Amino acid sequence: MTSFDTKYDMYPAGDVGVVEGEMNIPSQGVPSGNSMEFNTLDEPIKETFLRDLRAVGNKFYHVLIPREKSSLLKEWDLWGPLLLCTLMATILQGTEAADNTNDGGPEFAEVFVLVWIGAAVVTINSKLLGGNISFFQSVCVLGYCMFPIALSLVLCRVILFSTQTTFLFFLRLVLSMVGFIWATFAATKFLGDSQPEGKKALAVYPICLFYFILSWLVVSHSNV
Amino acid sequence: MANVNTGELLDFQDYSPDHNNRSARIDVEAVHTNQYNNTMSNPNYSFEEPKAIDEPEAAPQTNHNFWTIEYYQKYFDVHTNEVVERIISSVLPQKVSRNFFDERIKGKPDLYGPVWISVTLIFTIAVSGNIASYLHNANKKGFVWRYDFHLVSIAATAITCYVWLVPLALWAALKWTTNTDGHDEIENQDAKSPTMMSLFCLYGYSLSIYIPVAVLWTIQVFWLQWLFVLMAAFVSGAVLIFWLMPALRKSKYFVILIGSILGFHFLLAAGFMLYFFHQPSTIEPDVVGPATVKALSP
Repeated sequence: MTSFDTKYDMYPAGDVGVVEGEMNIPSQGVPSGNSMEFNTLDEPIKETFLRDLRAVGNKFYHVLIPREKSSLLKEWDLWGPLLLCTLMATILQGTEAADNTNDGGPEFAEVFVLVWIGAAVVTINSKLLGGNISFFQSVCVLGYCMFPIALSLVLCRVILFSTQTTFLFFLRLVLSMVGFIWATFAATKFLGDSQPEGKKALAVYPICLFYFILSWLVVSHSNV
Repeated sequence: MANVNTGELLDFQDYSPDHNNRSARIDVEAVHTNQYNNTMSNPNYSFEEPKAIDEPEAAPQTNHNFWTIEYYQKYFDVHTNEVVERIISSVLPQKVSRNFFDERIKGKPDLYGPVWISVTLIFTIAVSGNIASYLHNANKKGFVWRYDFHLVSIAATAITCYVWLVPLALWAALKWTTNTDGHDEIENQDAKSPTMMSLFCLYGYSLSIYIPVAVLWTIQVFWLQWLFVLMAAFVSGAVLIFWLMPALRKSKYFVILIGSILGFHFLLAAGFMLYFFHQPSTIEPDVVGPATVKALSP
């Protein structure tokens, strides 16, 4: 032990400098954080709140029209996924029937857990495959890309207020399928490049499965 | 640049051998205090690797990296065409080369296929089980069908248990029944009998045939459903035995092992079909499932 410590102390300082050089690279890569020089201490709360809300809305817009990917990947946040997840879980949860059996729909917590655990598992999968993307970036993208599915859920909910016919069922099916394809397309667009060549399909397949399960919940949700 | 994660930076990195003394030392001190103390000048990291492949579940302490994501990356180091090839090999073994199992699966077992095939199967069964119950009840008067989300949890329990427990039992059976043959054969047996990981891999891929079959089970024709059960269990069980034959043949209970592999496969398929897809043709309120009973009442 002691011999080892003294040996370590004897290393020339030049070696340590090499390591420091490596560690400095990430902090140099984000100059945007330092360049934002506005003062947020004395601004009204409304302004702060609206700015964050606008950032979230902006990301939703980028999910709907997935053209440039820097906004979702660079400045990730989990507010949008939290909003979407809460919305979906609230609508999807099964209602308590007259006799105290559940109507077969998932509980609020089940949807919540399904979304977060699902996103985490898909992310861990892409990390395991060797993708170069950080954990929360991927969770953020997967969460934001639920937006088309949540949209189709809201539309299905509106459709469910009228009397159900076969045509309306197929309308709901088509809506949720569109949501599924849109979400998968957007998520693939954002996350596809992070995977090494030859493993893209392996990373995309779990994303498809994740959104497929959510769309299945959307189309199956019928308790009126 | 911005997305270099801290895990990579803080983790053990391979510098030149005489500089990595310190990192290697931490590994060594954790477990092998007296065993490797005299080999400190070597890069000790290489000593850990072969141990970890043998028994990753039983002895997590032997590798410092067990809790990190990099430890598992070697089980996910597959390419798309390899996964496709392995799925094909679990159904049509004549499409791939004869020593496919020895070369590929045993040499480089992956967990990607088993994990995602199991997850896919869980949700396929839940979805098509619901479709089956809808088809069964669709043309009843005054019936409001409702889906049952909780099929997912039942299917998940069944499949997870099957995929982990059966290979574990088979691995133990192979280990113990071949061990008693003779002491001089131990080196030979160690080289030949499949590792636990390769059995997990093989079993996970062998479930892939149930995914299309689960979709076909929604057809509500009773003899056709049984035909699919027999076909799926036989094909996938036979392929399992085909790949494991060299190891199985050395066991004392050769016939019993083969019988139980086929039997468990058949039980799994029959259980799926009877529980999720088959509803008795007599429509009495106490024999249709709880969800449908409730649905009938309003």
